[in-house]
Amino acid sequence: MVSLTTHVGSLELANPILSASGTFGHGLEMKHFVAPDCLGAWVSKTVTVVPREGNPAPRIRETEAGFLNSIGLENRGVAAYIAEVLPSLRSLKVPIITNIGGESLEAFVEAAELLSGFAEIAAFEVNLSCPNVDGGKLPFATDPHVAESIMASVRKVTDKPLFAKLSPNVSRISDMAKAVEAGGAHGITAVNTLLGMQVDWRSGRFGLATRMGGYSGTAIKPVALRCAYECVQAVEIPVIGCGGISTASDVLEFLAVGCSAIQVGTASFSDPGLLSHLAQDVANLLAENGVDQVQDIIGRVNQVPARA
Amino acid sequence: MAAPPPDATSQLAQVASIVPCGSDGVLLRVIPRTPFGPLNAGRFFMLRRADGVGPLIPRPFSIFKQEGDSIEFLIKVIGPGTQALAGAAIDSDLTLIGPLGNGWPEIAPEPVNIMLAGGIGSAPFYELIQSKLAKGAAPESLLMIYGAATRGFLYDLEAFEQLGVRVLSTTDDGSHGFHGNVLQCLEAEWAAGRVSESAQLMACGPEPMLKAVGRLAEERKLKAWLSLESYMGCGVGICNGCVVATRPDGELGSWPNAKCCVEGPVFANEAVRL
Repeated sequence: MVSLTTHVGSLELANPILSASGTFGHGLEMKHFVAPDCLGAWVSKTVTVVPREGNPAPRIRETEAGFLNSIGLENRGVAAYIAEVLPSLRSLKVPIITNIGGESLEAFVEAAELLSGFAEIAAFEVNLSCPNVDGGKLPFATDPHVAESIMASVRKVTDKPLFAKLSPNVSRISDMAKAVEAGGAHGITAVNTLLGMQVDWRSGRFGLATRMGGYSGTAIKPVALRCAYECVQAVEIPVIGCGGISTASDVLEFLAVGCSAIQVGTASFSDPGLLSHLAQDVANLLAENGVDQVQDIIGRVNQVPARA
Repeated sequence: MAAPPPDATSQLAQVASIVPCGSDGVLLRVIPRTPFGPLNAGRFFMLRRADGVGPLIPRPFSIFKQEGDSIEFLIKVIGPGTQALAGAAIDSDLTLIGPLGNGWPEIAPEPVNIMLAGGIGSAPFYELIQSKLAKGAAPESLLMIYGAATRGFLYDLEAFEQLGVRVLSTTDDGSHGFHGNVLQCLEAEWAAGRVSESAQLMACGPEPMLKAVGRLAEERKLKAWLSLESYMGCGVGICNGCVVATRPDGELGSWPNAKCCVEGPVFANEAVRL
């Protein structure tokens, strides 16, 4: 029996597999495909204080090797989340991580304040990095000082664990990682989508109504792995890897670079039932390789001597 | 909170046959591992090759025919996703996600049900007509007007013509049937008094056609339902990619968007803004 138990800060997770925000609903919408206890934790789609209609269509495009989206954080707001979603999450054993977003420091703080009293929420993931709000140019995605002050301000209004979700669209992700750690983050999710674009040269039209959007899927896995590794090397707090993960081997690669857990996003669009068996796939793969516990894989790249 | 239909599953289905249809289509018949009971006409499945050939994201297709354990899809081959499906080997596996969406509503056979299909938009009508007849609708209470740019895009016209209801075909280029589009054909039928001007409309086809059907229904105060196509990422209501604009006073509530995959694909005309 392989142990898949892992820890992300103060959270103990039954396995290291989480859903990525925005790919698995706000609550348990996907429970017909994936039983709640198949995941180490469920991560909600981003919730904002003010309801957001989202971006105009077309919002999604497939490309040769990945998926482009520009949803624009469509959600019905914190009040609707409290009224319609949280009641359905009561008495669940699996931890719920609520992803919060906003367009200003105040909006992040208010979202955390409004939700902090709810015991259904085990932790917050702070979405500093959505590329589809103001073209991803909001300063908290790219400016370490702003990111740090957001984490520090949110920290003041809640005792719940805080994970900062970072963007890969920066010059040095290690600077962002250090900044959110200094701001009081208990962990880092690395990474959100890459900023991408699609165009039809015949018509001269952009694929997405917003021209640019977040690029995800298998194609970004090496970029995400590099980002996750750089975060692990830069900070003491745990890192949750995210980007292009769809197989048990992918999961273990992110753990090997030092991630404590991982998130699966776009792969759930290819197969909404994937997460019903991915944890078991990881256990099987470890057993085949004579490994008793997933903990033994975490950080493995740092345990072997560098190549001469 | 829009959730996937409770009867939806993600499973493998074996390719039983792939037969060319029209100038750029195929009839793809699959046998799911776990067969389905009778499914509402107008619902759909997301399909993708299980061997990973073809795009990352599955594609949505209406149920064309359901016979015994098999489900047949009518597919217009237009890009890498449909090319991969059309090129699948017999007996190979596809990932089949569904059944998804709401399907056509149950509506009375009176006033006359007029089904307007544009090109590949005919796919969700075969089972609809079959099921209406099976439930006792008189054949003369149903009329299908099936139009396309040219004869090659009137996919499996013969199958519709054999259903035992009146089927009028139209082509923009006059290569088959009425020379014109489905709405011009409908107007001509009304003008000649061959079909009641009080009618219920069901339409599936390209967006300009659906917009025109919507306008016509509004002008003439007719009930109409539109089966919409939208670029879908997941088909199960979680990606928020396939949104359709709603009307503030419509039955879908005050939120400006509806998810085509779980709140549709069939919408009442007065509920959406195309």
